[in-house]
Amino acid sequence: MRSIIKLGVFLLVVAGVAGLAISYVNGITSPIIEQQMIENKLASFKEVYPDSDEVRDETSKYLNDSTNPVITEVNVAYQGGSPAGVIYGVAPNGYAGKIQILAGFDIASQKITVIKILSLSETPGLGAKATEPAFTDRFKDKDAASPLEVVKQEPAAGNEILAITASTITSKAVTDGVNAAREHFTANFK
Amino acid sequence: MSLVREFTKGIVAENPLFRLVLGMCPSLAITTSVENALGMGAAFTAVLFASNIVISALRKVIPDSVRIPSYIVIIATFVTLIEMVMHAFVPALFESLGIFIPLIVVNCIILGRAEAFANKNSIAPSIMDALGMGLGFTLALIIVSTFREVLGAGTFLGHSVMGLGANSALIFILPPGAFITLGCILGFLNKMQRSKA
Repeated sequence: MRSIIKLGVFLLVVAGVAGLAISYVNGITSPIIEQQMIENKLASFKEVYPDSDEVRDETSKYLNDSTNPVITEVNVAYQGGSPAGVIYGVAPNGYAGKIQILAGFDIASQKITVIKILSLSETPGLGAKATEPAFTDRFKDKDAASPLEVVKQEPAAGNEILAITASTITSKAVTDGVNAAREHFTANFK
Repeated sequence: MSLVREFTKGIVAENPLFRLVLGMCPSLAITTSVENALGMGAAFTAVLFASNIVISALRKVIPDSVRIPSYIVIIATFVTLIEMVMHAFVPALFESLGIFIPLIVVNCIILGRAEAFANKNSIAPSIMDALGMGLGFTLALIIVSTFREVLGAGTFLGHSVMGLGANSALIFILPPGAFITLGCILGFLNKMQRSKA
């Protein structure tokens, strides 16, 4: 009995010291990490929609129960006080888990500016190629009016996206995500 | 035993991956590229270094019957600390290694060295053991990932080699390729050893 208490107290001390060490370091690092995340987010907003002087998170204003659940964020880019573009966060299901995508839309031209894949867990060498500009550039300047379609041959029509070889599921998932944002965009930002 | 021997034994004679066949799960998972192998090896060595020092220093304090939970808490603490510090101060490195760091907790080589070495030896040999094992593991990962990246993606450290490009054998960077590569290497090493003996 006595030894059980002794061992229990020993483990308590070990875990307590570990907890203290972690909480101390966390206190130092977490503000820095948070700051970095905000900066990264702003930097990727700039990549997706470059011409803006302010980006506001208006997710709560535009998303409700009836909107497509794939859309996670609606950020509106302002230029000189009026909305100029919309940056959507979408998270469609890929081949292995969710794919986090930012998709930028220009209100004046009703076109996709560019898309950026923030994170994915697709197969390396196959679906993971979706992050490369070679694939994301296929979405550049597409018209927001008509649905995008994935094709396996060289695209003939303007709304067609060439799939990544041997990664049709990933290509489709990204396109579905962008399509969800596109639909919401044409419905709300005419 | 000399300190030099403690260092060198981890590289060839007791190589954790090829000879002790420990730490298979993370090794199979991350050897898709040489860059991953380098990162995993570096993070692994840092954790093993820290945990070996602490466990060796506390080897007379930790009661025998609760040593395993104590080791696990110590190792998990170091992994978490390294993860947070890397995330805050070297974000670029964290970006590329982020997913592998939690994998180190379940890397049985670290627990294996704590159990087999650090709790029986003083601090200096434990440091040498950690460095040797870390280097041995890193080299083994580089060897496996070199085969997989060159054959599977046609690149080495991201640079195209041999003009393979799109004609590479994709299976090598997929999970089955990990088993095939590792199996061939282990078989080759066993054959070498047998013909020597």
